[in-house]
Order: sequence, then C-alpha cells, then structure tokens
Amino acid sequence: MSLRIAVDIGGTFTDIVCLDENSGLIVDEKAHTTPTNFANGVIDAIVKTDIDLKETMYCVHGTTVVINAVTERKGAKTALVTTKGYRDALEIGRANRPDLYNYFYKKPIPYVPRHLRFEVEERLNYKGEILKSVSEEEVVGMAQKIKQEGVSAVAVCFLHSYANPEHERLVGRILARELPGVEITISSDLIKEWREYERTSTTVLNAYVKPSTTKYLDTLQKRLEEMGLKVEPHAMLSNGGTATFTRSKEVPIALIESGPVGGVIGAVALGKIIGEDNIITLDIGGTTAKTSLCSKGEVKITTDYKLEWTPKFAGYPVKIPIVDIIEIGAGGGSIAWVDEVGVLKVGPQSAGADPGPACYGLGGEQPTLTDANLIAGRIDPNSFLGGEFVLSVDQARKTMQPIAEHFGITIEEAALGVIKTANNNMLTALKLISVRRGYDPREFTMVAMGGNGAVHGPYLAAELRVGKLIIPNLPGTFSAWGMLMTDLRQDLIQTHIMPVAGCDLDKINLIYQQMEQEALSIYHKQGISPEHIVFVRTADMRYVGQEHTVRTSVVSGVIQKDDLQTIRQSFDRNHYQQYTFSLDYAPAEFVNFNLTAFGTVKKPEIKEISPAGPLEDALKGERVIDFDEHGRLQSKVFERSMLGPGHKIHGPAVVEESKSVTVLYPGQTLDVDSYGNLIIYTGV
Amino acid sequence: MAKVDPFTRENIAQGLIAAADEMFLTWGRTSQSTIIYEVLDYACGLTDVNGNLIGQANGVTGFLGAITYSVISVLDKFGIENLKPGDIILTNDPFTGSGTHLCDVSAVLPIFYEGEVVAFAANKGHWNEIGGKNLGSWSTDATEIYQEGLQFPIIKIYEEGKLNEAVRDMIAANCRTPDMTLGDLYAQTASLRIAEKRVLELYNKYGKEAVLESIEMLLANGRKLALKEISKMPKGVFAADGYIDANANGLGDVYVKAKVTITDDTFEIDLTGSGKQVDAPINCSKYGAYSAGRIIYHAILNPNAEPNDGFYSPLKVIAPEGSVFAAVRPAPVSTNWEAMCRVIDLVAKALAPVVPERVAAGHFLSIIGTILGGIEDNTMEPFVLCEPQAGGWGAGFNKDGESGLVAINDGETFIIPAEVAEYKYPILVEQYALNINTGAGKFRGGCGLIRDYRLLNSSAELTTIASNHKYPPWGFGGGKDGSPNIVEVHHSNSLEPVVGATFSNYPLQKNDLVRFISGCGGGYGDPMERPVEKVRQDIKDEYITIETAAKEYGVIVDPKTLEIDHEQTAKRRMELNEHY
Repeated sequence: MSLRIAVDIGGTFTDIVCLDENSGLIVDEKAHTTPTNFANGVIDAIVKTDIDLKETMYCVHGTTVVINAVTERKGAKTALVTTKGYRDALEIGRANRPDLYNYFYKKPIPYVPRHLRFEVEERLNYKGEILKSVSEEEVVGMAQKIKQEGVSAVAVCFLHSYANPEHERLVGRILARELPGVEITISSDLIKEWREYERTSTTVLNAYVKPSTTKYLDTLQKRLEEMGLKVEPHAMLSNGGTATFTRSKEVPIALIESGPVGGVIGAVALGKIIGEDNIITLDIGGTTAKTSLCSKGEVKITTDYKLEWTPKFAGYPVKIPIVDIIEIGAGGGSIAWVDEVGVLKVGPQSAGADPGPACYGLGGEQPTLTDANLIAGRIDPNSFLGGEFVLSVDQARKTMQPIAEHFGITIEEAALGVIKTANNNMLTALKLISVRRGYDPREFTMVAMGGNGAVHGPYLAAELRVGKLIIPNLPGTFSAWGMLMTDLRQDLIQTHIMPVAGCDLDKINLIYQQMEQEALSIYHKQGISPEHIVFVRTADMRYVGQEHTVRTSVVSGVIQKDDLQTIRQSFDRNHYQQYTFSLDYAPAEFVNFNLTAFGTVKKPEIKEISPAGPLEDALKGERVIDFDEHGRLQSKVFERSMLGPGHKIHGPAVVEESKSVTVLYPGQTLDVDSYGNLIIYTGV
Repeated sequence: MAKVDPFTRENIAQGLIAAADEMFLTWGRTSQSTIIYEVLDYACGLTDVNGNLIGQANGVTGFLGAITYSVISVLDKFGIENLKPGDIILTNDPFTGSGTHLCDVSAVLPIFYEGEVVAFAANKGHWNEIGGKNLGSWSTDATEIYQEGLQFPIIKIYEEGKLNEAVRDMIAANCRTPDMTLGDLYAQTASLRIAEKRVLELYNKYGKEAVLESIEMLLANGRKLALKEISKMPKGVFAADGYIDANANGLGDVYVKAKVTITDDTFEIDLTGSGKQVDAPINCSKYGAYSAGRIIYHAILNPNAEPNDGFYSPLKVIAPEGSVFAAVRPAPVSTNWEAMCRVIDLVAKALAPVVPERVAAGHFLSIIGTILGGIEDNTMEPFVLCEPQAGGWGAGFNKDGESGLVAINDGETFIIPAEVAEYKYPILVEQYALNINTGAGKFRGGCGLIRDYRLLNSSAELTTIASNHKYPPWGFGGGKDGSPNIVEVHHSNSLEPVVGATFSNYPLQKNDLVRFISGCGGGYGDPMERPVEKVRQDIKDEYITIETAAKEYGVIVDPKTLEIDHEQTAKRRMELNEHY
C-alpha cells in the first residue's frame, strides 16, 4: 500500500498522476475523456499507467460530472417546496437585466418548472421566530401531489431558514417518509446565509444533480473496487479540499468546480516546498485560461459563484465556497477572427481537440493561437506532443492569410497580432485577480501550467511585473498532481448580523462552537480523528450601511472582549487593502461567521533530484523565433528531460518537453532548482 | 501615420474601457447605500479632453448621456485653463448637463498628464438623501425644483486635492442622513482616482500620441458600426403617440408624441408636439431626453455596441424647450424617469412594426418608484425603503416576453431580497409572485409581479408613482396589450382597497398592506397561431387560466386532465377567427 493516485477529468483528456511513496517515482498519463460514460476514461487512464490498484493507499478524483449535468440540463426531474407566497422566487430571481440595451434578453430558465413548485403555509421572521407553524397534514397532502409528478429529487427552501432550520428539517423528514427513493435536499443543510433566491437556487441545483452524481460515484467506486481498490476514494471539492465519496453524495453541488481547483492547490503545495507563499497561478489549456491568487499560502475562496454567468447573463447563483478562479476563453485552440468593424479578436470560440488548430491538419480552417505560435517559431512543428505528429506550418500560414490581408500586413505580423491580442486577454484576467483586488503582483510568484502555460507565462509574468515564474514538472498534468496534495476541507457559514461594539459574545462563541461540532461529526463519519482536524475561523464584516463584506480572521478558542479590538483593527486593515480606504471611526458589524475545518491527510513527500550532466547534453539545436518587439532571434532549443539542478539558461531560448514548451525571452534567465522545476527570472 | 500597430491600439482602447469598468466596480463595492450597491443606480465613464465619451460602465441605462453632458458643463463653466490637478467638480443641475434629477450627483475629475488635461473621469450616481421637502428627496408632488433638494451648480468639491470643508458641512447640514451621504461622496470620488491611475498607466506605458490615436480609432469604429446598422434599416419617417398617465398632482394625462426619421446617416427623434412642462415632477430636462434617446437608439441599432460618442454620432434628439421633455427651471424633475421612459417607449412603438427583429412589444415601463418610510418604533431611527419594482416585458417576433424583469430605465438592478428587506425595515413581505394577466399573442407577454408589504410599525408613509396605469403596455403584429401597473393599499380596517398609481406621503397604519401589481407585457402575433401544445403547457404551469385559454387563444382543455379537446378547439378557433 504505497500508491497515491489522482485522476482528473478535463474537457479533452482525463489525466492521471500516480506517486509511489516507496520509490518517490511519479507516473503521469492521459486518456481521452469519455463523455457518454466518464468512468470509462478514468479506467482507461489507470490501465495505461499499469499500476496495481490493490497497492493504493489514497485515491482522489476531480470530476466534471456535476458541471456537465447542470450545463447540459441532464439532471433529475426536481420539485421545489417553498414558503407560501414564494414559489415564484426561483423564476423571478433578482429581476436584474444585465444586458442593458437588449429587448430580447432571456432570463435564466429555472431548473424547476412552475407546476413542480409547491408552497407550504409556514412562516418565520428574520430572527427565526415562528409566525406560522407547519401543518403535517398539509405537507403529507403536498407529498402526494409531488408523487404523482414522478420526480426523483425535491428541494426545500423556506424563508429565514438560515436563522432557524427547524421547519425545513421537519418538512424534509415528512417528505423523506412519504416519498421513498426520492432524494431530498433542504437548504439549511447546505448554507445558512440569507437571501432567499440565491439559497433556493443553490438548493435546487444540489437536488438536481444528486441522483446522477450518486449513480456515477457508486458506479466508479464499484469498478475501482473490482480492479482491487481497497480504500474509499475521495472527490475533489470546489473549495480546494476533498471529501469521501459518501460525503460527496450528500452535497454534490460542492463538486461543481471539482476539476479546475487541483492546479491551484498544487501551486500552493509546490510553493510550500520551495518557500513561496504568494502565488498567482496561470493555467492555459486548449480552450480556456484560468488564473487564481493565493496570498500568504492561503487559497482565495469566493461564495459569489454564478453558474453560466457572463457580463450579459445573470447566471444561476451557487452559494457554496469555491476557489476564486477567473476563467476566460483564451487557449491554444482559440480562434482568431475579425469583428464587424474590423478589429482583431481571439476566442472565446475554440477549435477544441477536433478539428483542433489548422496546423493539426485535421480539417481546422480557422487560424488559432497555436497556429500563430507555430508561425512565430515558438512551437516546433516536429516536436509537438513529443513528436506524436508533425504540425503543418503551411496550413497555419494559409489560414492566417486572410487576417494578414485584412490589415495589409505580412503573415508573420498577423501571427504576432494574434499572440498580442490573446496575451492581452489573458493579462486582463491576471489583472482582475491581482491588481483589481488590491494585490501588488511584484510581491507574487507565478506558477504556469497546462499545455500552453509555459508558452505565454514568461511574457505575461513580465507584463504583470511578476519577477519570478515557475514551470513545475509535468505542467500538462499538474492539476492532477495538485489533487494529491489536498486536505479534507469543509466550509461552514452562519449569517447573524450583529454590531461589533456591544456584540453578544456568548452568541458568537456559541455559533463557532456549534459549527465546530458539526464539522467534527461530519469528519467522524469519514474516519478522521480529532487530532488531525484544524479549524480556521473568519468573519465577514462591513461598515454599518455597506452591503459587501470583507473577510477577516478571528481568533480560535473562547473569544474574549479584548479580542474584539484585534478583530476590528484587522477588518479596517483588510478594507483598506481591498478598497484603498477604511473608515476607522465608523461602526462596523458582523454579517457571517465562517469556519473552515481541515482534515489533514498525509501528503506525499517530494524528493530532490540528482544533478544532471553538462548543459550541452540538453541542447537540441537552434532556431529562429519571433520575439515581436525584440525581433526575430536565433534561439537555443533545450530538451527538458536532460536538464537538472544547477543548469542556467539565458534567453532567447526555448525548453521543450513532451506536453509543453517554455519560451524564454531575451533578458530573462532560467534556473533549474533541486526538484527539477524551471525557475524563470522575468527581468523585471 | 500610425504610431502603433492596430493590435496595440486596440489594447490601449480596451485598457481605457477597463478603466471605466474598474471605477464602476470600486464604487459599488465601497458604497454605504442600497441604491448604489444593490440597485447599481450609477454610472462611470471616461471622456476625451473635449467631453467625447470614450467608454462608460453603467448599472442602469438611464445615465447613458450623463457623463458626456456633465463634463461639457464643467468645461463651459470653468474653461479648461482653470482646472487644476486634484480638482473634483460636483454637479447635479438637471438643466445644464447633469441631466436627470437632483438626487443624481455627477463628479468630474480632470486627468493631467505632463501638465495638461488629457481626459476626464466622471461618474454619476443616486444619493439616497440630498435634502429637500421629502425624506429620500424625490417626491411625486413637488411643484418646483427648490423642493427637491440641495443643488450643486457645478462646484469644486476638491480644489487641488483639498476637500472644500464648507461645502461638505453644508451637505451634512442639509441632508437627513449626513453620514451616509458623505460616505457616498467619498466612495464616489475615490473611484474617480482609480480611473485616473489606470489612464495614466496607459499614457506612461505607450505615450501620449499612441493613446490619442487609440481614442480616435475607438470613436471612428463606433461610428462605423452605427452606420453599418443604420444601412440595414428601412429609411423614412415613423411616428407614435401616447400619454404619460401617472396623474401626479392630479394633473391628468400629458399627451406625448415622437417622430423618428431615419436616413442613410442619421437617426433623428423629434419630440415636437408633446405637451408642455407641468407643475409635477414627471418632467425631464433636455439632457434627460438626450439620454433617453441614446438608450433606445442603442437598443435598436446594436445592444452589444460599446457606448461612445462615435457610436452615438448619427443620433439627433429634438426636444422643444418648455415641453415635458425639455423642461426649464424652476420645473420639478425628481421623477423625471416617467418622461424619459416615455421617449424610449414612443420610439420603440413607432419602429416596432417596421423592425420587429430589433424591438419587442411594450413592457410595464414605469419603474414604479417606491418609498416606504417612517420612524421605527423601537429604535426611533428613520427608515427608508427606496426601490424600483420589476414587471413584465413584451413578446418579440421569436419569443415570449420575460417575467419579472426591471424596466428599460433600470438595468443591472437587483430587487431587494425579502429576507434582507424584513431585516432592515419593519415589514413582512407576504408575497412575491407572478401576475399572470399577460398580453396574448403567438408569443405572449411576460408576467408582471405582485409584491405585498405588510407594515409592522405603528405608522409609515407611502410614496409611489406609476404610469401605464390607465394605458397598458402595447402588443403588436396581432398581439394583445398587456396589463396595467397598479398599487393597492389594503387598510387593515377596511374591506375595499384604495387603488391607484401615484401616492404622495400617504399615511399607513400597523397591519396595513401595500400591494404592488406591476403590469404584464404586450403580446406579438395572432394568439390563434400559438401552438395548442404551448397553450396547454402554460395552463399546466398556471401562466394562463383555462378560461383565458378558451377566450384569448381558442384552446379548450378538460379542466381535470388538462387534455386538449381538439374538436372544440378547432371550432372555437374558427369562431374567433370569423369574429375578427
């Protein structure tokens, strides 16, 4: 029992990373993702590695099953039960019209149609006091109607249940009894935050994906067990932690961003090993670029996630903690096009894996970012994907021709234009996650991953004024590697508005105690003992009158009166950092009390690697690369697998490996550290 | 000769637009008043040195003209030579460019690079309280602007970076919630400085020539896009008329008309012939009419276009001085949205028959501006619930209307959640549901909303104004009209509700219930052409009743099984067709 494995399902490939604790050896593989039955792709990837599942001590899985079920509308037929007067809350939403000038705007269509939305005569006020009690008879009658509709899931969300969950629990119990075999989700089991629409939306989505997620996880677990797996597998959660399959089936909505978070966690773990705790991640794949920021070793979590949100579409709120990742439609397959007034755009449309960029020669007829990189000499046509197939420069040039003609420039200049435009899109995302949130990129190190992260990373890091960039080992499957480095994690939130000055300390202490108890009991069921559990407390605070809150850390143990001043001061500081001002004199209040409970698991130890031979051995040759404003330069080409600790390379140069290429600019230098990571000093 | 390649130019242009976006984000995040952070009743923009709009970020559409005209009014008053680095100018004068009403305050900051003004950052937003005769400052019964609050006649609130404390103290003394009002002043001006920082970064990185060239390109592209869209539209003169039926101060309906003339390179809206300004706050200034014109022009030409003065250059709005659309001092204008939304709706109505692919049927239109306020019994502190309502939208040539969406004057405006409203104000929100009296059609109108407030406080006052009360939203192409906006007060000691549209400081007692019923949208196309199966589904989902299905759509179903009676339906539809 010495193997740790992580399997990560992506849009195109399913990645596996397997680490043997005894030997320290890491194996990675990719198999095609199999959307009709994702478990097949997982099994294919495992088979490719040739490992023995019986030897597995830890298995973690990042999956797109939940996000696919919601985006493809393939979840369960679901009913909704609300407080009387509120069955339309789900359809009304917040009534906002983000596409300001569009008379044809379409609101999000509710996941539960109106005839499946039911009301119960019950009512609480905002303090959680009962104004009207639940009538069991009424609920039983309603259950019969729900039964006739043949639903397989029911969501229950009552007004003010964040302040008092008793009504929801009671109705949940009655429905469970009356509707055997139907999955019930009550809102207060997921979140205890106010705002009825957002809570209802989250509850409905959880109910909607529960039956299919349960089926998928059960099937996969069974097949893994048939192959010899002896431990219960874990799923990667959107908050950057993991949970056992059993727990995951109760709150499947927590898996909604299960896939992309692995890279972020991996970057933080890598940072810990090499002594970097301020990190910006940059993950560029075939279709999208994703970026996230970790300050002082801490992953940023958001609870403002909206499924399918765009600046012009309201989206569906999911009020669960999710790693704050900004994702834009800019990857290697992103298509370059000229808009109606003649401006060059890149993405968000992608050629995907099929047909892929024009240079693949598989029928792609539109120029993509990869085609541009090929024309600029940044990618070698002969060593792409380890030389699996030869790229066609002619195809790439042919599709770039119309853009060149449109602007009256050469094909080379057009390719640079495509790269520049894509870089600018990515830079916008990088600024959003850093500068716009009050962070100074100069204090951060960037970790680039994904097939194209190392191609664009050196330029983007310099533009963002990040001094140091790391290209980790196996950047193409880094996200799966990151999953091996995660702890179990639960995030609990309780809304309770209270002024800081003159607050009810007993109440606050009680809230934290209750949340800690809840976390302990959930971990107990997952077999985690108390000494492996770490609690981190925070509170969402604001100045009285404000709406948006700022997260502030809170001391552990019993909070004393003196601690309040510390909390208040740290809130003022955080507010200043995020918004460039603080109102130290103004009254402040608590809005949410938050608890993060980590269940720590043993992590694989990363071993240093042995020094390599002379640098000349890694030199494959030279070629001309177009570095835009630096010109077309003769550049050295190195093979990454031959590089080792102590090697130093000066740009212009490229480092090639089977699933990625690193493009080093003039003025930049690259060191190989003792773990084999490429450390690039960007020259700023 | 180009100084920079087209891709870098585009990058700079995007950087300028992003600066406006970031300014917008910052203000929203730091504001202390609901109307800013929930309703997003504000806008941020950048102009060139002459006041030409380069980029603008809005939460609501109503401020579309605000940035440009505010900056121009600053230039007119001071002259560019009298602006200094660190100056910030405030104006809320509706008649000289700030445009809407006194609650909407504009702030303008000249951006200096190498000692000269290169651009302006400007923003404008709704201050919850700016004094005047009513709590919340706007009223439905003012007769002169002097009753509507404190006026900032284009003044420097910051001079070379120094806050004018005299003005600050006067603001504090003249507002009912000085802390909140000043908090918003600081948040608003802080966000201007963010834009300044970003713009200067671009100048430092690319140089002045390159940035100016980018601005030129951006404006030229805006105009190019507009002309391209106009070329696809029918040329000619199109007209519509109607009434502002809010009945403020009991003045009755105000007749309004619009004539739209489209040529190869102009889009002209002529409001000549509309009624005179009235002694009630439903007037707008000519800048309000200009902004409204931009909204409907933008919607009809291309909703995805970036707002800039290049794009708007083919637009011309004619509003005769002294009319309800170009009121002059001392006309009250505090509910000017009633006039503004009417400009939008008239143009939409005039053009809908000829460009149905560009505009949908009439929607509830009036934002049903609401103030519910009083003194809270326990704390003895004032409370003010100030919000717009959402309602039903019109059907389009290819879709049903949307249900429960804020009006065209609003936008990224979030209705206050019941759980938040009940925490902040002494009320129970007893119902938030769909109003299903939709305009019938091949595509039907969207549902309005019903929102009930039960008062828990010993007393309070209701102020609300709604037009489209007598005349419901219009259907077209054979579609039927929607239903009107109605406000009902159900006194706890009376069986019959008081029904109306406009209430001014109307007294309420504990347990009284206020019901806002927003209108449903108009339909499009002949209801007989609506597929029978769709009608059945609407019955099942209770979007229409069985009776409506029979009466309006000619579809007969079994009331128990909801199965369609095809024979009866065919018969009924034939009868109805003959009838018309």
